[in-house]
Amino acid sequence: MSSTVRMPPPDVWGVGRVAVGGEMIPWPVSHADVDDETDSHVATMRRLGVGEGDVVVICSLLSEAIHVFPLEQAANAVGARYSSTDATEFDAFRTAAMVSQVSPVAVIGVNRDVVTGLRGAGRDLREVFGPVKVVVAADEDAREALEGAGLAPRRWLKLGPVSGFECAERDGVHVDGSRVRVMTTEDGGLLVTTTVPRLTPCVDLATGLHGEVIERPCACGSTDPRIRMVPAPG
Amino acid sequence: MSDRYFEPDAETMPRDQLDELQEEKLLGDLLPWAYKRSPLVRATWDAAGVSIDDVTSMDDFREKAPFVDKDAIRRFRDTSNDRYGGLLCVDPLRAGGPFTAVFSTSGTTGDPTLVPSVTSGPSILTREFWEMGCRPGDYFVEMLFTYRGPGIHHTIRGIGATPVFVDHSPFEFPNVYRLSRELRPTGWYTMSTPLILALEQMAPAMGIDPRDMFASYKGVIYAGEPLGARARALLDEWGVNFFVHTGVADVGAATECREHDGCHIWEDIAFVEVLDPDGTDPVADGERGELVGTTLVDKIAPLVRYRSDDLVRVTRERCACGRTHARMWPVGRKSDEIVVDGVSVLPGDVWPAIESVAETEAALFQVIRPARELDRLRLRVGFASEGPHGLADVRDRVIDAVEACVGLVPDVELVPNEVLLRQGPPHKIPRVTKQ
Repeated sequence: MSSTVRMPPPDVWGVGRVAVGGEMIPWPVSHADVDDETDSHVATMRRLGVGEGDVVVICSLLSEAIHVFPLEQAANAVGARYSSTDATEFDAFRTAAMVSQVSPVAVIGVNRDVVTGLRGAGRDLREVFGPVKVVVAADEDAREALEGAGLAPRRWLKLGPVSGFECAERDGVHVDGSRVRVMTTEDGGLLVTTTVPRLTPCVDLATGLHGEVIERPCACGSTDPRIRMVPAPG
Repeated sequence: MSDRYFEPDAETMPRDQLDELQEEKLLGDLLPWAYKRSPLVRATWDAAGVSIDDVTSMDDFREKAPFVDKDAIRRFRDTSNDRYGGLLCVDPLRAGGPFTAVFSTSGTTGDPTLVPSVTSGPSILTREFWEMGCRPGDYFVEMLFTYRGPGIHHTIRGIGATPVFVDHSPFEFPNVYRLSRELRPTGWYTMSTPLILALEQMAPAMGIDPRDMFASYKGVIYAGEPLGARARALLDEWGVNFFVHTGVADVGAATECREHDGCHIWEDIAFVEVLDPDGTDPVADGERGELVGTTLVDKIAPLVRYRSDDLVRVTRERCACGRTHARMWPVGRKSDEIVVDGVSVLPGDVWPAIESVAETEAALFQVIRPARELDRLRLRVGFASEGPHGLADVRDRVIDAVEACVGLVPDVELVPNEVLLRQGPPHKIPRVTKQ
């Protein structure tokens, strides 16, 4: 088969978005950025207990693609497969259906809309997620709802163009210290800097989130910095 | 050779060569593979008393190969404790194999069924995106949900363009407006009826000029459900060059070319038949029938003679664009049909009547279908406002419009539009419901 043209892919992998100071701004990332994030999240998958032959359900929005695609690639890199569902009220039924049909070891990205959708359909969160070893909440409302259902959710936190996850200790979100530096402002605002080359420079980016940075090693053995979320002042 | 073709040899292949290619792919490769490995295919063929040795020609295939449908897949899944419904032809425990993800069907007609998938590389939609006029270096808005995986990202990159990711939600329009003015994208995948109607309502408050927003686009893919006259008129008013896109029996997709004269089915990846919906005989070219699809390329979870439930018209006449592949026009779903006093009614038949009434012009409605044959036509219709004379008046006008359209006096239950929209998925609503 001949083709009219076969152009090499452009350097830009895609244009996602990132919260900066409370506003969402377009954020181009390169193929190299995506590959580097994938490498970083191989450790995340292992920390979540995802390994060869497993399935992980990733519940997300397309606008989160620059954060999610590396997770999908990382799942494949550890020999696992992934399943995708939308993190919306409409599609909450699919998250429940996938949990029952593919028996995932982890569900990543349950947010407040998914919780609302499941409750609106009369589903009990413990019944839906009880069989899953690791459930990861994408926001504080979902975390509280899952905890209220007697589950022990971990937290996924998007910090500018990167993201981190809690380990089984559930004592702060681990960020990859070899690639990311997180600082705080006087009022606890989280500023993120990527310390490796990236297509879109990220230096002291104001995430709009508040928290504290824990530098001491985690009980899990990791020496990466961790973020504990705190409410915004005022 | 025209620059409009992405794969000119394949897209304009003479019909006799296309037939030969299909036979070679189906009988020489796909069918033996599926017969040997797919538990559902083997069980279905054994039950029909047909062996692979009985099929040595395409005529044999058309005459002897048994059918499967979505219910058969669900039944196999539930009775055999096989999460993949007997379709899987590769070892699910083999790490690093070609099967890297598990996606799912939309779930519009029941619980979603699993779609084991390969997630690397572009799909055949590169041909459509190229035909729309998108070229290397362009930006391309991907306004979608996630449950079908990253195939569209790869496909956009497959033509050398760059995807811009946004959610399939009306609340994204301010972002899309800004991105459209800054990046001047040339392609958009996908627009749906709920988004079109929401844009009409929300644009003034959001400060969006739709004509300005769509100005840079050479093509916008429309998908989800049949495009009603009202939504079509809005797209025209906004200057949108839209391309209708539809599924092909879960073995491919079909999209209009610039001629806008039917959606091209890529017959080098799918063998399609159009059969009597109540039987097995083929219908004539251009006549309405049920679409039956067989993949020619999917070796992970191949569908063989899959009765899609979709009613379509298909022609194999060459298109004015020069492509030789079949073209289809979706009509509706077979399982959506009801018969009232001997009159066949599909949702599309009452659609124009409902959108002709100002308060229900969004055409959000459902046909109540507890059984195929009914004494009365019952409709649940969404309304945007109660109108100047109240809901009883709105109901009367809907009844009159439907009667004038299909000759039946319906029972009409009015509900706010939001009630129906909540029944999503976001790009369409279930048009038929049991109660």
